[in-house]
Amino acid sequence: MTEKIDIQKFANGMVVLGIPMRQVQSAAFDFLLPAGASLMPEDCCGAPAVIEDWIFRGAGGKTSRELTDLLDGLGIHRNSSIESKHIALSAVLEAENLTRAIELYADIIQKPALDESQFEYSRQLALQGLASLEDDPMHKTMLLLRQHFYPDPLGRSPLGNQKDLQNLTAQMSKQIISENFNVSEIIFAVAGKYDFPKLCSLLEKLFAGQKPGESKDINIKTQSLAYNYLRHEGAQVHIGLMTPAVTPQNIDYYNARVAVAVLSGGMSSRLFTEVREKRGLCYAVGASYHSFKEMAGIGCYAGTTPDKAQQTYDVIIAEFKRLAEGISDDELKRAKIGLESSLIMQSESTISRAQAAAMDFYMLGKVRTLDEIKQQIEKITVKSVLDFLKKNPFDKFCSVTIGPSEIKTV
Amino acid sequence: MEFKHKKLANGLDIIAEVNKDAQSAAFGVFVKTGPRDETNNIAGVSHYLEHMLFKGTDKLSTYDVNRRFDGLGAIYNAQTGDEYTIYYAAILPEQLYETAQLWCQLMRPALRDDDFNMEKNVILEEIAMYQDLPHYDVHENCKALHFGEHPCSIKALGTVESIKALTSKQMREYFESRYAPNNITVVIAGKFEFEKICDYLETGCADWQPKHADRKTEYFAGTAKKEHQKKKNLTCRHIGLMSPTVSYQDDRADAATLLAKIIGDDIGSRFFWQLVDTAIAETATMHCEAMDGVGAYYSYIRTPEENCSKVLQIVEDIFKSLYREKISADELQKAKNKVLSAITIKNEIPMERLAELGINWTYLKKYRPIEEEIEKIKKVTIDDLTALMQEFPLMPFTQFSLGPEK
Repeated sequence: MTEKIDIQKFANGMVVLGIPMRQVQSAAFDFLLPAGASLMPEDCCGAPAVIEDWIFRGAGGKTSRELTDLLDGLGIHRNSSIESKHIALSAVLEAENLTRAIELYADIIQKPALDESQFEYSRQLALQGLASLEDDPMHKTMLLLRQHFYPDPLGRSPLGNQKDLQNLTAQMSKQIISENFNVSEIIFAVAGKYDFPKLCSLLEKLFAGQKPGESKDINIKTQSLAYNYLRHEGAQVHIGLMTPAVTPQNIDYYNARVAVAVLSGGMSSRLFTEVREKRGLCYAVGASYHSFKEMAGIGCYAGTTPDKAQQTYDVIIAEFKRLAEGISDDELKRAKIGLESSLIMQSESTISRAQAAAMDFYMLGKVRTLDEIKQQIEKITVKSVLDFLKKNPFDKFCSVTIGPSEIKTV
Repeated sequence: MEFKHKKLANGLDIIAEVNKDAQSAAFGVFVKTGPRDETNNIAGVSHYLEHMLFKGTDKLSTYDVNRRFDGLGAIYNAQTGDEYTIYYAAILPEQLYETAQLWCQLMRPALRDDDFNMEKNVILEEIAMYQDLPHYDVHENCKALHFGEHPCSIKALGTVESIKALTSKQMREYFESRYAPNNITVVIAGKFEFEKICDYLETGCADWQPKHADRKTEYFAGTAKKEHQKKKNLTCRHIGLMSPTVSYQDDRADAATLLAKIIGDDIGSRFFWQLVDTAIAETATMHCEAMDGVGAYYSYIRTPEENCSKVLQIVEDIFKSLYREKISADELQKAKNKVLSAITIKNEIPMERLAELGINWTYLKKYRPIEEEIEKIKKVTIDDLTALMQEFPLMPFTQFSLGPEK
């Protein structure tokens, strides 16, 4: 599993990361642009969703149609997402088209047309995205959970809010782009088949002209963990809850990951066993680790019909709390095997590796090799997890429910 | 990549594609049964049975099964499609043989009444969950409306009524008639030794008895009916459209896939430019659902309620324009590039390759190497698309939509 990691930092601060993968004919890349939801001015929530669409509507002297035709002609499968700190632009394609694709993305990032006649379409689509969240209570529960668990601006919804989106103008969006698309904080990661020296000289040529901008800090407000309920006349009560955990920089990070795997790794994990297998309360129940650089939490989702909602919530809370009472050797072993095995499976996907490398660099200032992660997981013992749970008990929760009826929370 | 095939005496097909350079292996059991093999009084039994297979055998409890899979580090699950039920695991190569053994054992389940009664709650919760996912709900309802009395109309999960009324005896009868070795294909992809896995399978599956497991596959072009339902919890209009096309077995299935991409790929298609780029709809996509003996194009559009008439007018204009002016060479080439790069990317992962291999074999009883798949796509011409549209008109289509009350 020994893995090579390529790293290059340009004079203007931009970072280029590469993970070569044998035996693949594809390449995937990920640009992290420092223009995520938490970095927006107070009255511009949702601007990244508009910007992410707008920058693809023409760039580098090409119209929107010409640009899309060129990308399609390369057979690119592209995706954009809004994160707390970044707009992430990722793509996967056949390796022979990588150079041309990166040239087009350099235009999209540095020379977007930002045609004002196109702005309104991007804004309307962002408003529609927000409206369609109303029809997806499961997704809405998890976005609201982050909003209530993490203090503002960390937990802001990537979709923004209606008032800000209605007031957003092309001028405000241009201003945000010019202040936030700061080359010194752009992270680029590639995985798959590529030639690193050639790639670096290409990226250097494309991005060298960009001068570093000012780094943006955020002021994190305080927030208390509470229960939030939204009425929705659907079939289920959607339950989200989250408890604080340690960030990836913390010495206890792998203890937290193993603890979550015991709770909700595979089908033999505690939540699946107690909530679904023994009691038949839910179809969907699961917990997962989530983190920003500043804060982290363990989030849990369950969807159930109204008459079972209270019991579902109570059983989940009891399982979170019971974890500190003890873990069997078998449970620990299964949790570790599950984590290690997922790691290797994910390493076969070029896009997973590129995205993980970019996020690692942002979080830790380095890219962890698969070997390093595996060794860290192997070090974890029952004692180390229980010691972590003593320092960081899972006993304080932020809860959100959306559905026809409310529940009582701890 | 090296293809291997072995047929056991009881009719069980074992097919495999060995990739010595892969990091992992994938194992799948493809049972040629699904909702279309059900009748209305047992609607949902295929999917419910899929859940019940995880409940163990005479020798293994649910908890034993879960612990063993997790202990192997398997990423495992199952899926019930309209016409097949797939059980699968992605696994590190050294754990493959034990995983295969476990799946073989599970294919002869205990189907205990206690487990059956408990799992009924989970199935009813799953039905409720999908009721809160309108894009899924609209697809199931559109399919039911389109196929009318044809067996493909049966909803994958069944209904609350059919599940509540279903007995364990009915499930056992269904299992006996459908899970025969001659109706099952075992598929393996990635890094492994074929002979070794065959030894395990021969021991584990030899006593499965073959049975007559047939399926009616008559063609049906669809009802072209229209229906709209209002729901008080909805904000947007969710529109599903279906029109007929070729079956999976038809040589023109690749042309149908490309035509759907030209019309409704999520980026760069006709739907995209006329509906999404112009912010009339948030989402507008079309794909081809080529099935056993039948086929349909399915379009899904999500739009603000007030844009609904405009959207339907534009969709009709797009469909009509395809008959007025030929599709351009450039449009076809872009669609091909997208499909071809998708083939390269997904075949790099054994789990993805497994799905392709198993579904091809289930429908065609044939191995199709990646090179052949690529060649077939490359050969499609504009005239092929034109002829396809003439034989399978895009209009009139079946239309089902869900929208808000106000």
